[in-house]
This record gives sequence, C-alpha cells and structure tokens, in this order.
Amino acid sequence: MHPILTILVMLIAIYGLISSTNIIKSVFAATMLESSLILLFLNLGAINGGIIPIFDGVSIAIVDPIPQALMITTIVIGSTVTSLALIISIKIFHNNGSIDWKDIL
Amino acid sequence: MMSIYPVILMFLPIIVSLVMYLVKKPWIHFLVFALQLTLAFVFVVLVMAYRQDPSIGLVIFGGWDQRIAITFLIDDINLIFIGLTIFFFFIIYYYSFKSNYREMKFFFFLTFLEGVFLAALMTNDLFNLFVYLELMSLLITLLITYKKVENALKAGLQYLLLSSVAAMFYLIGVLLLYYVFGTINLSLIQSGMQDVLDYSVIKVAYAFMMTAFLLKGAVFPLYAWLPKAHGVAQSSISALLSGLMVKIALYLIIRIHHGMFGSPYGFNDMLLVIGFASSLIGVVFAMSQKDLKQILAYHTVSQVGLMLIGLSFGEGNSYMGGFLHIINHAFFKGLLFLVAGVIIKVYQTKKVSEIRGLFKTLPWTSVLLVIGILSITGAPLWNGFISKTLIKYAFKDNLLWFTLFQLIHIGTMISFSKVIMMVFGSPLKEVHVSRASWTQHIPMTLLAIVSFIIGVAYVPLFDWLFGIDVYRINVLSMDVWFDYFIYALIGFNLYLFVIKKDGMFFKWVRQFHIQFPTSNYLLVLVLVSLLLITSL
Repeated sequence: MHPILTILVMLIAIYGLISSTNIIKSVFAATMLESSLILLFLNLGAINGGIIPIFDGVSIAIVDPIPQALMITTIVIGSTVTSLALIISIKIFHNNGSIDWKDIL
Repeated sequence: MMSIYPVILMFLPIIVSLVMYLVKKPWIHFLVFALQLTLAFVFVVLVMAYRQDPSIGLVIFGGWDQRIAITFLIDDINLIFIGLTIFFFFIIYYYSFKSNYREMKFFFFLTFLEGVFLAALMTNDLFNLFVYLELMSLLITLLITYKKVENALKAGLQYLLLSSVAAMFYLIGVLLLYYVFGTINLSLIQSGMQDVLDYSVIKVAYAFMMTAFLLKGAVFPLYAWLPKAHGVAQSSISALLSGLMVKIALYLIIRIHHGMFGSPYGFNDMLLVIGFASSLIGVVFAMSQKDLKQILAYHTVSQVGLMLIGLSFGEGNSYMGGFLHIINHAFFKGLLFLVAGVIIKVYQTKKVSEIRGLFKTLPWTSVLLVIGILSITGAPLWNGFISKTLIKYAFKDNLLWFTLFQLIHIGTMISFSKVIMMVFGSPLKEVHVSRASWTQHIPMTLLAIVSFIIGVAYVPLFDWLFGIDVYRINVLSMDVWFDYFIYALIGFNLYLFVIKKDGMFFKWVRQFHIQFPTSNYLLVLVLVSLLLITSL
C-alpha cells in the first residue's frame, strides 16, 4: 500500500473526528486513525520481495522487524481502548437514550 | 545487582494490584500500605546507590544492544518525581482507604496506575512511553467513571478518546524519529541530534509530539477534558489527577522538549506565550464558576500555565521556579481537593454560595483549607510563594509580562476570596456533622506540613536538591507581606464589587463548554500551527 493512500485514510479519520457528533462514529474514527498509523509504520520497514525476519545466513532482503514488533503492541492497546470506549458508550446509551455528543454534554 | 531496583519500583505495584484483584477480600487492601513502605525503602536505597555511582541509573532489559533494547534511565530529575509519586500515592491510599476499601476494584486500578506511572517516569524508550501513556489514560478513565454516574461516563469517554488521539499523534512523531535515526532510544536520539543533515522530518515529528503533550497537560486551548473529568470524579481521584497525572506532560516537556530536542526552533518563546494564555484563561474561568470543584479544576489549568512560563526559560532561576512549582502544586492542590471532598460530603452540595460556617462545623478542616488557599495564592511562609517568586525572576524588568503575571495573581486572589467566604458565618441549613475521621485528617495534615516545610526551609532544600542558592528570597521582609496584603485586598474588593454581581460576561463564561468534535478541531489546529511555526 502506497504511503500516500495511508495518509489519505488518516486525513479521513481526522475529518471524522472533527465533523461527527455521533459517539460511535467518533470511536470509529479514532480506530481508523490508529489503523492508518499501523499501515504507515509497517510500510517503513517493508521491502518489496523481502522475507520474514528470521536470519538464515543466506538471504539479504529481510523486512525490518522492529516496526512489526511495535505495531503488534499498538494493535493490542488500540483494541483495548476501542472496547472500553464502546462499553462506556453503551452505558451512556442506556442512561439517556442518545449517543450524540450534543445531547449528552 | 543494583539495577534491579528500578524494575522493582515498576513491577511491585503491578504484582500487588493483581494479587488484590485475585484475592477479592476487603482485608487484602491493607497490602497497599506494605507496598508503599517497601517502595519507600527501595527508593531510599536507590537514591543512596545513585549518589555513589550514577552509572547504575541505566537499566537495559534482556542484555540486548542499546539500539533495540528497552531501557530505563534514572537521573536527578526523575528521582525527584519518583519520590513525589510514592509520597502522593501514599496520601491518596490513606485518604480513600476507609471509604473505599470494601470496593473490590478501586485499589486494583489505583495500584496498577501507580506502577504504570512510575514506569512512565523511568523509561528511556519512546515506544515504551507510548504504551504507558495509553495504559495511564485507560486506568484514569476507569477511575473517573468508577461511580458510573451519568456525567462521569461522558467525561470519562471524552478523556479516553481525546488522550488516545493525542497518543496517536505522539506515535506518529515516534515513527518519524525512527525513520530518521533507526532507533527509538531517547538518549541515543538525543546524542545523534547534532549530526542530522536534514531537519525537515524531525520538525514534523516535533510538532506532533508537542501537540500530544500540550493536550496531556491540559494547556489552553486543549484543556476541555480537564474541568469535566475533575468535576465528576471522586475527590481523591481529582486530587490524584490534578496533583500528579497532569504533571506527566510537564515532565515529558522537560525530558523531550528540553532534553531530547534541545529546546529547538525558538519554541521556548512559544511556550511562554502558551503559558500566559493558559494561565489567564484558566483564572478567568475559575473566577466565574460557582461549583467548588470546578473552581479548583480551572485553577489547575491556570497553574499548569504558570509552570510552563517557568519552564519556558530553559535554565536559571525561572526554570527552577517552574520545576519547583510542579512539585509544590501537587501538595497544595492535592490538599485543596481532599479538603473539598470532606466539605462536599458533609454539606451535600458543591455550590460555594450554599456552604457557610465551616469554622463552626469542621474546625480543623477549615484550617487546612485556609492553609491550602494561602499556599496557592502565594502567601509568604508557604510553598507557593517560593516558586512564584522564582518564576517571576526572569521577566521582572519586562513590563508586559510582569503586568500579566500580576493580573494572574489578582485573579487567583479573586477566585479564592469566593472560596474563603465558606469559612465564615454560620451554616445556611442544618448539616449532619459527621466529623471527618482521622484517616482523612492525617494525610491532609501531612500535605499541609510539607507545604510549610518547603515554604520555610527552602534555602537548604534547594541547595540539596538542585545545588542552587536562593538566599535572596526573604520571607520575613516587610515588602513581601505588604505586597501580599495589597493584592489580597484588591482581589477581595474586586470579588465583592464585581464578581458577586455576576454580570453577563461571567454568566456567558460559566455556560461555555467545548464539545468533543470542537476539541478535536482545536487539537488539529494546534498541530497545524505548530507545523507552521517550526517550518518557518
């Protein structure tokens, strides 16, 4: 995936954060921002035709392993944040029957 | 062998929290005091070992090459913060123990948060720091929404989403730095900073990281989450948030802006402007609030601004003043929030105008309240005076900055005139004086004593902590007392004749709320302006 495309996804996510007044959409946009970031970071370490980073003494084109290690952690944290945000959204919906930022604040 | 101590500081609270979660019996929560004792002991041993041999501060996990390993770094700055953290968490445990020890998860979250916070102070790895920042915002959200009352849920969700977006911005910065340096080790990047040929990518990374810190520190215009979160959380949690959790941003500004990037692009001046703006806006908002906890919360915004003003000078007395104000603020604002908790529980209301006659109902609590107010308004003999005097030092000849600083001073006086009115008179309606128990009074008194000690014994303390001489500050000279009383008089009169009338402007300010989409918009706006400023 070309970096420009990932940056495009990032911009869409930021637009969603700014414009949407729906809580679920806001959570969605935050998740999207995170996903685009993961794709961008993985792009940095990727080499066309590179192999998995297990050194066998022969191949030279190996993919940079550090971005992958970091991004796995980011995915775990991101899913935690998303699930907590969704749980709180459900509680808010049960309490006042609306998931619009304008209604609840 | 000595390098095990930083690891204990991080893992022991987390292990203890897991034990408490698994045992699920109220008595297990007494473990937190054993934990605090052990941590204090480990901390003292660590300080003594570090004084003898500073090289033990570097801990490399797994024995890998430093470029890829996770490392912890202990230095003079974060030792002070670690000591503060252990002391402050002890206060919070003590204060909330009686009211919360039957609840199964409260101390689990709190203790876990302590471990994560200590780790965030010690880590020397930028990505590791991101993990801790995210964990901190998760745990703080859980603590804010702990009572599951309606406002708390909204405030918690807003805090969670905003700080996770900010953490994403921070991560973009880390990514760009990895792209340039091929490592995410903070000290390696710091030493490699001079050898870079093309700074354009680093500038972008800098803008992204600073935006995240400004949001974490609740600086104008990104402060929207703070008053909401502080207003709805339990008082002990508000004290923790305001006293300690906001300070991570200022710590990171010291560590990354001043340390790693080396105060670049004239951004110190920018910090000065942001500091003044945030201080003034915070004070104006605090003046117009009627809710006790909202007043204190907006004052946190204002005091963070003062710290930024101090830190923006980068070195010298003002910088030290800003640094000391970070610590002093933890003591007096913690004290004020804890006192507010006791008062709100007895009077069953948060409205300042409905609380009167504190001295009759809660004598010792009202004395502590007065001590907190004296500290935050910068009365001589209390710790706020020392740091405020030091912050003033660098611009005492610059008329504009000095006038603004005195305006902030008067604003603080005005809003605390409103608070101090609670002490006098007699209660408006019948109150059940369930005397605050000694488990709440002892921690509050400890905070007050520390405020007094810093305010009196500042000369040896500064010599010992920072090695600088501050004998020129004289708390006993007539000038400073005269000054204080003049400003207090001005503030009190302005309160009586302007604020009490509650004009249109203050009503408008009180109803002014920043919605979540708007605060995202402001976040992007700050980011874009930082990008423009750095690229100039």
